[in-house]
Amino acid sequence: MLAGLLGCGAYVCYLNLLVTHRFEGLRWTLPAHVYAAPMDLYAGLQLSGPQLEHELQRLSYHPVPELEQPGSYRVTGNRIDVALRAVQFADGSRPATVLSVLFGPTGIQDLRDSTGREVPVTRLDPLLIGSLFPVDGVDRIVVTPQEVPPLLPAALKAVEDRTFDTNRGVDPLAMLRALWVDLRSHRIEEGGSTLTQQLVKSYFLTNRQTLGRKVREAIMAVSLATHFSKDDLMNAYINEIFLGQDGNRSIHGFGLASEFYFGKPLSELDLPQIATLVAIVRGPTYYDPRSHAQRTLARRNLVLQILAQQGVIKPDQAQIAQRQPLGVTAGASGAYYPAYLDLVRRTLQRDYPEKELTEAGLRIYTSLDPRVQELAEQSLDAELRVLDKRHRRRRVDAKLEGAVVVTSPQSGDVLAIVGGRNVDFDGFNRALDANRSIGSLIKPFIYLTALETGRYNAATVIQDQPVSIKLANGRYWRPENFTRRNYGPVPVVRALAESLNDATVGVGMDIGLDKISATLQRFGLQQAPDQVPAMLLGSIDIPPLDVAQLYNGIADGGFRTPLRAVRAVVSADGKPLKAYPLQVTQVAPSADVYEVESMMEQVMTHGTGLPALSVLPPGLVTAGKSGTSSQDRDSWFAGFSGGELAVVWVGYDHYQPTGLTGSEGALPVWAHLMASLGTTSLVMPPPEGVTDTWIDYLTGMGAPPGCPGAVPVQVALPTGTQVPPMPGCGTGTTAQTLFQRAGQLLHRLVH
Amino acid sequence: MKLMVSALVLGGVLAGCALLNPPPSFTSENTRAHSPSQAQEAPPLAAPASQPTAPAGASAPTPPEQQAPQQPQFTLGAAASALVDDAHTQEQSHNFGLAAETLERALSIEPRNPLVWIELGRENILAGNPSQAYGMGRKALYLASGDPRAQSSAWQLIAASLRAQGRNDEAYVAEEKAVALDPN
Repeated sequence: MLAGLLGCGAYVCYLNLLVTHRFEGLRWTLPAHVYAAPMDLYAGLQLSGPQLEHELQRLSYHPVPELEQPGSYRVTGNRIDVALRAVQFADGSRPATVLSVLFGPTGIQDLRDSTGREVPVTRLDPLLIGSLFPVDGVDRIVVTPQEVPPLLPAALKAVEDRTFDTNRGVDPLAMLRALWVDLRSHRIEEGGSTLTQQLVKSYFLTNRQTLGRKVREAIMAVSLATHFSKDDLMNAYINEIFLGQDGNRSIHGFGLASEFYFGKPLSELDLPQIATLVAIVRGPTYYDPRSHAQRTLARRNLVLQILAQQGVIKPDQAQIAQRQPLGVTAGASGAYYPAYLDLVRRTLQRDYPEKELTEAGLRIYTSLDPRVQELAEQSLDAELRVLDKRHRRRRVDAKLEGAVVVTSPQSGDVLAIVGGRNVDFDGFNRALDANRSIGSLIKPFIYLTALETGRYNAATVIQDQPVSIKLANGRYWRPENFTRRNYGPVPVVRALAESLNDATVGVGMDIGLDKISATLQRFGLQQAPDQVPAMLLGSIDIPPLDVAQLYNGIADGGFRTPLRAVRAVVSADGKPLKAYPLQVTQVAPSADVYEVESMMEQVMTHGTGLPALSVLPPGLVTAGKSGTSSQDRDSWFAGFSGGELAVVWVGYDHYQPTGLTGSEGALPVWAHLMASLGTTSLVMPPPEGVTDTWIDYLTGMGAPPGCPGAVPVQVALPTGTQVPPMPGCGTGTTAQTLFQRAGQLLHRLVH
Repeated sequence: MKLMVSALVLGGVLAGCALLNPPPSFTSENTRAHSPSQAQEAPPLAAPASQPTAPAGASAPTPPEQQAPQQPQFTLGAAASALVDDAHTQEQSHNFGLAAETLERALSIEPRNPLVWIELGRENILAGNPSQAYGMGRKALYLASGDPRAQSSAWQLIAASLRAQGRNDEAYVAEEKAVALDPN
């Protein structure tokens, strides 16, 4: 007997120590939260009122007739007043503030703060785009007592534990009542748990409902209530409790639940929304407001009724709230971009151990542009649907897939990644992992290498004729043009624009595979390709992201800027931990790259990119290149405007022929995307060493606009290049810079 | 000693950056002729309706040889200018990382403005990354095509970055180029 009592006493002491020790050092494992790049607002930005509204709604701001709390906005004519939330950026924080945005005919005309003072530039909130959580899937946002609306603890007490303020961790009457119910039904139906017991159960124990566990739970609850204040226990409860499941992610705490169900911070919830969360506490699966809306609505209304009965709210408040819909967002709050998060995770795994990444509450700031991401997803989906219809006729028993990568060439920021048609699928990421033959996407690098030798330029006439190359195994390789015919003498610009295989192979063999391989590696190709002649037609298997890295260097004038998805990592308490600064290295002479760019512009106006013209806004200057691998297994298009580079791949996962060239499969997606981006034209003054020159597209001879019988195109040529004239079109062209000509003119005037 | 050298080379760069404050806006007349000339760096989010409208290759504007040459001049817009000011303030409290992040914001607004690249390169020298500063100087030089003052500033940045790496002979050549482009 004595031994039994001593044993019980020791057990109670052990539980008491365990509870107090662990609760004193209570630290939740906090997943890393990942944010998109915040949008900068400034006078002159070409953003319309509806576009700003769209961005605000994406951030779960709601329109109101009069500005209230942060997270709301008001539209008055051509002005939008926004009550911005207090937010933490990678480089500091911003308190809640009011901003007035005045719109003119071309975009934002004026920005003012609440005192009427002009604001030169400010930022919207960074959109939460996901979490990196540990293997157990626990995700949460920890809130301080100041961030909790007072109604929430009051409602929890009224509904879950009316004696919370006075009980000692357990409510014996409630437990006896539950025990009676359980004994009568011969199974455990009711727990009679106080909030403290629920907290103990969630934090310390398993879900198993046994008598032993109930006893342990009660002892631990009493221990907690003895050693800690009610405020501490309530705050712990609010941050700890399980409130929903999102795939393999479990939603813990009211802070995250508020974002998950309503897309806004807990502090912004209204009465019916708080009542909904309190309703969910009783059974997050049973009362899932998305799967079981009616059931949850009924429970929420019951909660409201209890709150009125308990005097927490007035009866008329309850009645008004009961008439409100649940108002939960369609999906998880903010946005979910698993393909992009995949790249973020891979980037961070180089610098952080998994445990720190998923449990230390890091804040990850990325380059993702939600607007571009949304448009990239839409473009791929829309165009693949069109291609599906054509494919049905081909009786291909597979689903056409695709991937898109969009970057900002100057900064190397990865703005968007689409890893496949099912954008919510957190699985095979084609943008990062689909190693596919790039086909003719290699050609700009071949011609760039050729230009660098000094023996070729855009007007150089080369021979497009049958090629036969003896391979190491003694066999002969005889590539053909797509049209299966040859065009004889053609200028380089035409060979690139029309993607002539035979002409390109001739140039490639002339300059050497080793040089081309070196060029590709300079631009960021990670592994040296096999130096075989087939390399000249793109027998290099890399994923779209790697293609984007290569083309980013061309779009950026010959500068390699490592692509980056992560901009900065900040600790849970706002301390900057790591920045991923912009890096830039010149890897090719700008003049040569400019010349290649000028030829790639002709791809869009005279070559394989021509079909995009009918989709792109009139006058938008872009440059690009199509790619098709053998037997049409891969359809590629990579191209850029003045603002963005986009790489699109379309094909089957199992390498069946698609019957689509780059122009037929990937180009429509690319053009749709570029047209919707509202991007800017590719405009650059020629760098030193090259001059924009008019030549005939078919012969490479000098041919200014209006030259009869010519197809004049403007390409960059090395300054001083003598171009013979088209017959009847002047005396020839010498490429000179405008400033050279201006200097000569000035010289003549002065002397 | 190292600090003194840095201070000296930065002096040159800073002098070059004095042109950050406005005169007339940049008007590029010597862009590829079928590309529309553009007064300033267009904001990243452009409404489609306001796109420049020269059809690519379809209808060609006046060839360059028939146009009057005009000296382009880069300046900073108000938003980028405010951010550069912020970066200078952060730099004064030796918060170079923060200043670089602020300048990257300016860069996202005006990605093709060489003056922002020069500022970012200068920041990299202060932060002890002269090789990155060199890359940014080259980038600024590429973007500054046609604007001798901006080119001169870019060469000064290149010279400063070379000197900070101990490549004094190359730095001297770069400085000479800077002076030749803008003796003032």
